[in-house]
This record gives sequence, structure tokens and C-alpha cells, in this order.
Amino acid sequence: MSLEQFKDRNVGEQNYYQVDIADYPTTGWGKFKRAVDRTFKGELFVGLWVVMREMIKFDIHTVQYPKEKLPIGPRYRAVHEMLRLWESDTERCIGCGLCEKICISDCIRMDTRYDENSRKEVGEYSINLGRCIFCGYCAEVCPELAIVHGPRYENTSEQRAHYVTFEDMLTPIDVMKAGAQKEYPGFGAITPHEDERVQKTPLAY
Amino acid sequence: MFEAIAFYLFAFLTVAMFSITVLTSQALYALTSLAAGMIFISAFFFLLGADFLGAVQIIVYTGAVMALYAFGMMFFDTTRELKEKNSSSMIVFGLSGLAALMVVVIFVTPIASEHISAIYPMHENVGNTQEVGMILFTKYLVPFEVAAVMLLVAMISGIVLAGKKMDRSLTQMSEEEIQSMQESDKKAVL
Amino acid sequence: MDTAFIIETIIKIVVILLVFSALAGFGTYFERKVLAFMQRRLGPMHVGPYGLLQIAADGVKLFTKEDIVPAGVVGPIFKIAPVITAATAFMAAAAIPFLPEFTLFGYTVHPIVADINVGILYILGVMAIGLYGPLLGGMASNNKYSLISAARGAAVFISYEVVTGLSLLAPMMMVGSLSLIDFNNYQAGGIGEWIIWSQPVAFILFWIAAFAETGRTPFHLIANDHEIIDGFGTEYSGMRWGLFFIGEYANMFFISFVMAIIFLGGFGDGTVLGAFALLGKVAFFFFFFLWTRAAWPDVRPDQLMWLCWKVLMPIAVLNIVITGIVMMF
Repeated sequence: MSLEQFKDRNVGEQNYYQVDIADYPTTGWGKFKRAVDRTFKGELFVGLWVVMREMIKFDIHTVQYPKEKLPIGPRYRAVHEMLRLWESDTERCIGCGLCEKICISDCIRMDTRYDENSRKEVGEYSINLGRCIFCGYCAEVCPELAIVHGPRYENTSEQRAHYVTFEDMLTPIDVMKAGAQKEYPGFGAITPHEDERVQKTPLAY
Repeated sequence: MFEAIAFYLFAFLTVAMFSITVLTSQALYALTSLAAGMIFISAFFFLLGADFLGAVQIIVYTGAVMALYAFGMMFFDTTRELKEKNSSSMIVFGLSGLAALMVVVIFVTPIASEHISAIYPMHENVGNTQEVGMILFTKYLVPFEVAAVMLLVAMISGIVLAGKKMDRSLTQMSEEEIQSMQESDKKAVL
Repeated sequence: MDTAFIIETIIKIVVILLVFSALAGFGTYFERKVLAFMQRRLGPMHVGPYGLLQIAADGVKLFTKEDIVPAGVVGPIFKIAPVITAATAFMAAAAIPFLPEFTLFGYTVHPIVADINVGILYILGVMAIGLYGPLLGGMASNNKYSLISAARGAAVFISYEVVTGLSLLAPMMMVGSLSLIDFNNYQAGGIGEWIIWSQPVAFILFWIAAFAETGRTPFHLIANDHEIIDGFGTEYSGMRWGLFFIGEYANMFFISFVMAIIFLGGFGDGTVLGAFALLGKVAFFFFFFLWTRAAWPDVRPDQLMWLCWKVLMPIAVLNIVITGIVMMF
């Protein structure tokens, strides 16, 4: 069966039919017949057989969670990460403040200043994970692909308001040196085959 | 010696339980101690070697007291104490005490004067159940059957009284039908 | 009454208590495992190898939990109700022969506490008392769900008890005794002499009534989790709740023994093979209790009463009459 049928949300007459339900018996004889019918139909044994078959097949679907984990999607949106530039190993964040501005739950706070080279530098940067709804807008809006969502979904904290700071999120330098930083394919990231789709800016108008 | 200990233990327990039944003003205590007392009585049957009667005592009275519990649930908030109104408690206690005393005298007099004798002696190698059956279906056949007929009469009258509107189900009727039914009932009463 | 008899009886009682308390614990483990396998799950896995020590963990939890007696309950009755369930379950075991008699160090052991000649009546009566536990617990709890559970308990009890008694009458008439040992000896000749072949209707009826008696799934009305929370157990915590649990599972084992001995030949001629056969039959009945829980839906209380009074009781009476006619000629 193709998915076409399910994608068609146009509810109409097309695939619906009334389930055939027998009328409720009104006479005593009808009730008696129904009771006898149900008794000797053997439907109870069908149920018994189904569960017994599953037990014999022993086709267990349990994931023993702390020991085994299901793979999560590459676009999964968990705790944020800050990426570094591949070329210079410095952080990608330019302190533009777009993520702070777009954050709909007001959980990002950043504080920027000019460093000695008169470049903008991020001083304080923290995300209140107690407020964050992991919507992914910050990653989408980031022009430098600096703030992205990582795969770490297991968090515990002693407090409701649990903050992650810039240093916590930044890719560790040894990971970076090993070339093990992972790019994020989710919201705001460059999609595959992006280069082929790049077109010249039409300047004709 | 064991028998004596067991007898006095169960005698004390039975009397204590029935005293609670009479004296408490808490419906749940009364019912529970009644059930416990009935079960303790079966101990006397076991002590006397009448196993069958003992087991039957347990089965019959657990069911009977269970029905009483159902009534208790319907009529009282069983977790609260009841406010009783004993206007003339002395007369009630005096009369019931006198009745109890008379019952004791009636049963004890023949035993005390040693004029009681077992007409139907125990047969050897025959179980308790068979003994009861033999007596029940020979000497006491007529009382047994009469009791059975009486129970049947009680059952049928109970069904007739309770089953007047059994064919009508309030959950499956519409509001108007219920209303018209209630009105017709009123007319019937008037 | 000599001293050896008393000592032997006490030892038997202690052994039965210990074995079946432990079995009740293992029963919960089996139940969780079997239900899990039938539903494509694994069940308890983390405590011990394959979750075997889960029972110990549950026991520790039950014993160490605070014993809460809520405000507004009828204290003494609330406290005694779980004891009634557990105690009567084990009292019923007194008349059940668990194994054929065997010789241990030159001393013949009868694995039955008291072979009274009204064994079945005694077991039925004591198991009937066992239902006072849920009833009293439900009525004393000062909780509406518990009260509903108690009301259901009373209604269900009155319905199924009739079927239990009447369905057993026909086999009793055939054997001519109420002792379970006599039942066993009546069927000692082998599979061909089992009462199930001559009384299949009584067997089915008693089996259905056994489900109502132990409150297992098709008739799991008095503690139906999805309707009335835990019914009579709602206000209980810790070991008092655990006593209800032990009583329920011990009852399941004992009623399985009763069914196996009355209808399926028990331990047969008393050899070692017969003893294992009895345990196998009991295991099957216990497994069936779990099996139905995975497969079948619950019925409503009024459906159970309808079934017991209007269907099963007439069939049971007919069965008795037919048995009597056949035995007479």
C-alpha cells in the first residue's frame, strides 16, 4: 500500500465504509442465541492462541534503555552545542545576538564586548535549559552555523533552572584537534548537494 | 486437655464476639464480630467430631453475613458511629436476658437430669457426612423437605417482590419515558 | 494424641507456610515474566540474573515501607482485613494433599496437615472466608473506590459460590466422599479414570468459578485497576498490602491443587512420577491463570452475575440431576 492514500487528507466518501455491527437482540430467544453463539464460537481461544504464539516466537521488542539506546535522528534537537571553525579552531560565534533576539522562550542571555583587536567577542553566554523548549530557532537563525543542537538528551540537574554556559557547549579543543567535530544537519544547516544548487544571482533586474 | 483448652478458648471468643455485636454502635464492628462469632461456633462442631456440620456452618454463615454486609453498605455509612435511640433499654435488656436464660434452662435441664440419650448411635466406619445424610433422609425427611419448600416460597416471593420492573432499564430509557413511567406509578399509588 | 504427631504437624505447617509464601513471591515473578513475553516485552531484568532477585527487592520494599493507616478509617477492621485474606488462604491448605506419602529416614510422611473427611467443604468454606478480607478492607477504608470494590466483592461472592458448590456436587456423588485423598484414590487407575472424562461439565464450571474465586482476569472485578484504582487495596501500603497479595497468589496455587486433585487424577498411584505429574498439572493451571490475564478482557460485574446465576447455575443443576440419574441406573 502506498502512502498516497494516507497523505490525502481530503476527508470524503472515498475509503470509508460502515463496520457491520449486528443489531442488539431484543427478544429473549435472540439474547439466548447470541449467548450460545458467543460461547461456542471459540473467539476466546483465538485470543489465547495469539498471545501464546507471541510467547513462542519470543520476538522481544524491548529496548533495555540505560544499556541499549535507540539511534536518534541526525536532526534531533537536544542540548545546544557551539562549534569551532575548521580553519582556525576558534569559535564560530561572532556575537551578533540573533539567537538571543529570536529565542521565543527568552532563555538565551549573551554579553558581548570589543576585544583588543576591536573585534566583537562573546563575554557571557548562557542558555537556561529550564526554560528552553528546544524549538531550534537559534540554530536556524545563526548565520555562522555556530550554535547548533547536539544529540545529548539525558540531563539531570538539582535545580529547575539549569544553565549551560558557553564553555560547556563549545567543542573541546582536543576533539577539535582530532578533527572529530560533527557538523549538524538539522535546522539552519547546509543541506546536502548545496553546491550544485547554488545559482548565480540574477542581476538582470 | 487440648479439647478443654480449645473449648474454653472458643467459648470465650464466641461470647466476646457476640457481646461486641450487641454492644457496639458501629455497624462495621457489629457485622464483623457477628461473622467472626459464627465462624468460632463452627469450632465447637469440629471439637465434637461433627466435621460436616462445622464446614457447613462456615459456608452458610459466611454467605449469610456477606448478604448482611451488603445491606449494611446500603443503609449506613459503615465507617461512622451510629446514634442509637434506646428509649427503654432496661425493658429490652431484661426481656432478652430472660429469653436467653429460658433457652439455657430448656436445653440444660434434660442434660442435668441425665435423661438424654442418643437414639441414633454413631456407626463405625461410616463418615460424618453419611451419618448426617442417613438421619436427614430417614427420620427427618419431612421436616427437611418442608424447610426446603419454605425456602423455595421465600425465594419465589423475593423474586416476585423485587422483580416487578426488571424488564425496564433506566439507563436505556429516554427522559420522557422515565417521566411517563413515574407518573403512571404515581397514579397507581393514588 | 502423642507428641510425635504434634511435632510432625507443626513442621508440616511451617513448611507449607514457608514454601507457599515463597511461591507467592515467585508467582508474581512468573506472572510478570509470562505477561511480558506474551506482550513482546522482557519483564523484570535488572535485579539479579534475569531479574530473579526482583522478588527479594519487592519484599524488602514491602517490609520497609511505612505502614500508613489513613485518617477516617475504621482502625481495627482496616488492620485485620489483610490478615484474614492471607491467613484463610493458608488455612485452606490444611486439607490439601500436596504430594503422595513418602518415606523419609524410615518415617512415613503424609504431606497433608489434616485429612479431615470433609476436606472439600472445609476448603470451600475457608476460601469463602477469605473474601472477607477484601470486603472488610474495602468497607473500612473510607474511600469510595474501596467501597465499590467491597460491594462488588459481596455480589461476586454470592454469585460464584453457588456455582462452585453445585459443580463439585456431581464429582462428590461419584466418589462418595469429601476427602481429597479419596478423590485421588478414586482416580488412581491412570488417565482413563480421571473424573474430567466423566464430569467435563463440572470441570469447566469449577474452573470458571475458580477464576471468580481467586479474582483473576476475566472476573478481575474487585480490584480492577482501570476502573476502581486498586479497589480494596487503594488505601493500603507496605506489608498490609503485601499480605493481600500473598493471599491472592497462595489462593491461586491452592485452587490449582484442588482442581488437579479433583478432576485430573492428582498424584495418581503415588509414585514419584505421579508426584511430578501433580506438580505439572498445578503448574499448568497456574500458567493458565496468567495466560488468560494476557489474552482476555474483563467482564462487567452484572455480566458475571448474569453468567453465574442464569447460565452456570442451571447447567450445574442439570449436571447434578443427570449424574444422579446415570448413577441410579
